[in-house]
Amino acid sequence: MKNTLRQVFHSGKFVAGFSIFVFILLMMIIYPLINPGNPLERIGVGTFAKPGTYVSLYDSVSSDRETLRLADADENRIKSMMSMEDRVSMVAWFTAMDISVEGVDMNDTDALLTMWRENYDEKARPAGMTKAQRNFYVRLNNSITSANTAEVLSVTETNSATGEVVDKGKIDKTDYVNVGDVANVKTLPLGTDNFGRDVLKELVSACGTSIWIGFIAGIVATLIGLLLGLLAGYLGGIVDDIIMFVTNIFTVIPSFVLLILITYSLGQDQRGATTVAVVIGLTSWVWTTRSVRSQVISLRNRDHVNLSKLSGHSLMRIVMTDILPYIASYVVMAFILQVSSGILAEAQLSLLGLGPKTTEVPTLGLMMNWAMLYSAHLNGSWWAYFPVILTIAGISFSMNLMNTGLDQVFNPTLRD
Amino acid sequence: MTKQKFLSLLLALVMVLGVAGSAMADEVTQLPRNESLYFAGQQWGPVNSWNPIGVNQNNAMATTTSPQGSRTIMFETLYMYNFMDGSMTPLLAEGDYVWNDSLTEMTVKLNPAAKWSDGTAVTAEDVAATWNVAATIQNNTATNYSIYIDGVEAVDAQTVLIKSALTEAGTPVNPLKVVEYLGNAFVAQKAWIETVCARNNDDATAILNDAAEDVVWSGPYTKYVANDQQVVLVRDDNYWGQDASMWGSLPVPKYIVHTIFADNPAGETAFKAGEVDVCQQFLPNIQDLWLKDGLPISTYIEDAPYQVCLTMPTAWYNMKIEALQNPVLRKAIAIAVDYDSIIANAMTNQSPTFADVPRSMMNPTAGEQALYNHDQVKDLQWIGNDIEGAKAMLDEAGIVDTDGDGWRELNGEKIALNACCPNGWTDWQAAMEIVADAGKNIGVEITTLFPEWSIYQTVFTNPNQTEYQIFMYSPDSAGPAQPWGRVRQFMGGDLIGIENNWTGNYGQYTNARVDEILAAIPQTTDEAELNALYTEAVEIYLTEVPSFSLMYRPAVFHEVNESVWTNYPDAEDGRNIPPADCTDGYGIAALYELELVNP
Repeated sequence: MKNTLRQVFHSGKFVAGFSIFVFILLMMIIYPLINPGNPLERIGVGTFAKPGTYVSLYDSVSSDRETLRLADADENRIKSMMSMEDRVSMVAWFTAMDISVEGVDMNDTDALLTMWRENYDEKARPAGMTKAQRNFYVRLNNSITSANTAEVLSVTETNSATGEVVDKGKIDKTDYVNVGDVANVKTLPLGTDNFGRDVLKELVSACGTSIWIGFIAGIVATLIGLLLGLLAGYLGGIVDDIIMFVTNIFTVIPSFVLLILITYSLGQDQRGATTVAVVIGLTSWVWTTRSVRSQVISLRNRDHVNLSKLSGHSLMRIVMTDILPYIASYVVMAFILQVSSGILAEAQLSLLGLGPKTTEVPTLGLMMNWAMLYSAHLNGSWWAYFPVILTIAGISFSMNLMNTGLDQVFNPTLRD
Repeated sequence: MTKQKFLSLLLALVMVLGVAGSAMADEVTQLPRNESLYFAGQQWGPVNSWNPIGVNQNNAMATTTSPQGSRTIMFETLYMYNFMDGSMTPLLAEGDYVWNDSLTEMTVKLNPAAKWSDGTAVTAEDVAATWNVAATIQNNTATNYSIYIDGVEAVDAQTVLIKSALTEAGTPVNPLKVVEYLGNAFVAQKAWIETVCARNNDDATAILNDAAEDVVWSGPYTKYVANDQQVVLVRDDNYWGQDASMWGSLPVPKYIVHTIFADNPAGETAFKAGEVDVCQQFLPNIQDLWLKDGLPISTYIEDAPYQVCLTMPTAWYNMKIEALQNPVLRKAIAIAVDYDSIIANAMTNQSPTFADVPRSMMNPTAGEQALYNHDQVKDLQWIGNDIEGAKAMLDEAGIVDTDGDGWRELNGEKIALNACCPNGWTDWQAAMEIVADAGKNIGVEITTLFPEWSIYQTVFTNPNQTEYQIFMYSPDSAGPAQPWGRVRQFMGGDLIGIENNWTGNYGQYTNARVDEILAAIPQTTDEAELNALYTEAVEIYLTEVPSFSLMYRPAVFHEVNESVWTNYPDAEDGRNIPPADCTDGYGIAALYELELVNP
């Protein structure tokens, strides 16, 4: 046993796959400790807040300030208010309104702004301009007029009882606060999803559910496959015929179609994560049966098996002690692949809207399902689905890598 | 050549021919882009019928009827309803309709210029024949209006007399519904109706399902191409409406095209690419299309809620469930729901909030909002997310957790409810998730359940069902008979126990006083009195909470891409054309005013 393990951990492929898998498992354990709470809690009102650190504007106003004189501060400020494209658009508006733009320097912000303020009219309908374009200018004008232009901003508070406005302080252009001093700062490394949930937190939790689903599916499929394969292979005869008949029927029916039909007929109220896992297991045992059977057939006429038979050992004992150990390594590898395909099957099912019930647990497939339903792939909210795809790929990749590694260890003909 | 080789070659040939054949079968007709107006979000499969008097049609572009404005691009109604101001503009009719003093008879004059596509005049006989055949074969016009309309008669060629159905007391049942009929029901040609009846041997089912390829129409467009790729309607250049008494010109686009998209994302992608001009789909975060992507896309209103909301998708309580017969529990769940989240998440802010438009049974339009006394019901209205209030309410009513499992019990039994809506209806599913969350927060177990629409529709319309406990459906949007119709839909006693009930009161709530109010409103013309009646109904609704609205929603989404066409209606243009996808009710006026971006 010890020797086998040493051999296994000498395989580069296995170690690589194992490390990825352990990393994912560690994330699942450690991340909830750093960021505890319900992964399905909706924190954002609104959909798809982008990844980044969110600083409470309210709290930062009253935090301690430092004065920093940064050379490019003014330039950055103007850039964020009015890009070069905006300037070109402004000139285009003047032209459309037949206002002379001779001698206008687009880089002269003040002159351009003055001209804009003098001439822009929200109600104007320049010929040939679409509603969408007019809307663009309304927004541009709003952003220009709402931009802070004063040297100093003042913060006021309205007394709710008396309606009196109290001055709460001034904000200078050179005032900065340290993010660490602000009472409320929230980092959302992967933003929020369509429900306003923290995607990373959900992803970590979903990972656990998905691995659990894969695990259950793998156990169910492997157990059924192993049992039927052993019986068919060892007993042979009519038992073999019957089992192979059933297996062949299941082989010709595409298992995914079967899976869809079963989950659909279960109805959504019955579809918990575990139920879905069991159903996946029930539809994916076929090829385990076939290969276990063929291995058992090659084993059953070996001398040590015949010796056992002659000694009058029971069927159970022969199978457990004389046959199973010889195919154990194969079964473990098959199990790993079943887990990996179970995870993929859940993702596929959920993507079709046939996954587990949604309110209770997040799963990788459900996250993708909701992201697709809210057109995350069309509106550029990559954080809602791309990390999920990467995670699924990561899990399957690590398992397949482990499987290949094991294969090389246990199957001498494959060794490099 | 061996036999096997020959066979494989033959097989390959068959496959190649098969692929080529299927490609040729339904080739997409290439149309000049700057003469075609492309639509999305209305038609989801090949059309099965062009029958204006039939049922079970899926021909969205040609045969959609609705109280908020029927689609009059191929068949026409007497009047066009404008949901922005509630007005009725004559289409086949001329001038205003005239009631007699007791509101029992209405006279409608027809426009003498109105012609059928075969050149014959549209007469009062046609209007009467359409009503009579409806009553005989029981199509939707009959099921919607036969309890309100006794008969439609032709006085002379240009004069139609519509008789209200009368109550036992001799008063009209509901004159508002008669007015609604004018803008809802298509008029079909008498001669054509006779042809259809004759060829189907007067068999009602056969007539209702007749594909009507030979139909005679009166509208500006007619069938051009219809296959499983697209539906194209082409302008009828002899359309009578170019007469100065009607539009004075033909509609601008020569072709009305609806590509049949596989699903919402396909339609959305085409819309963003400028391959679709007018889109009737819920597009999450629509503002990003112009704010972030800089696309030439706009809606009727530039800022949130972007759309004109006319209805309010509602969660109905099933009164057959014992726990839900308790009004305290009903109200507690309703006030605990986080509506702001629903509106921000499910509707991506394409709905006013319940702080903007306080809840009642009225839609957010100014006309309906003015119909009840806001101050009188102020204390009953709720904005939501009031977890503590809901908990206190339940505690006070003795609905508490007695066995310590974290869930409350009512009469010793754990309250376990489900919240249902059809699978794939994204925004509703998100809303139901948020309702389930509210339950969790106040200790009432609510789980979501999303059956397929084909199953859902048979269950929630069944008056005796107990499968769905909290379930979603929308009441009617706008129309001349609103908000009376909506009050009836929320609480009308006449809707109790009807099999296959698509009309309303799906939760089977009864209240004798509401039924009196419902009977009184249509007979009331005095504004103050009407206001008092509506206010009382709202008061009962908000106290009893037989259902609770989750958001406001447009009846049709109206989004336009100005890559090819421009001058679509917008809120500030002063033209009073409703945002009805340029096709519904008075919204069709937009088709006459479109302009090319690059002429």
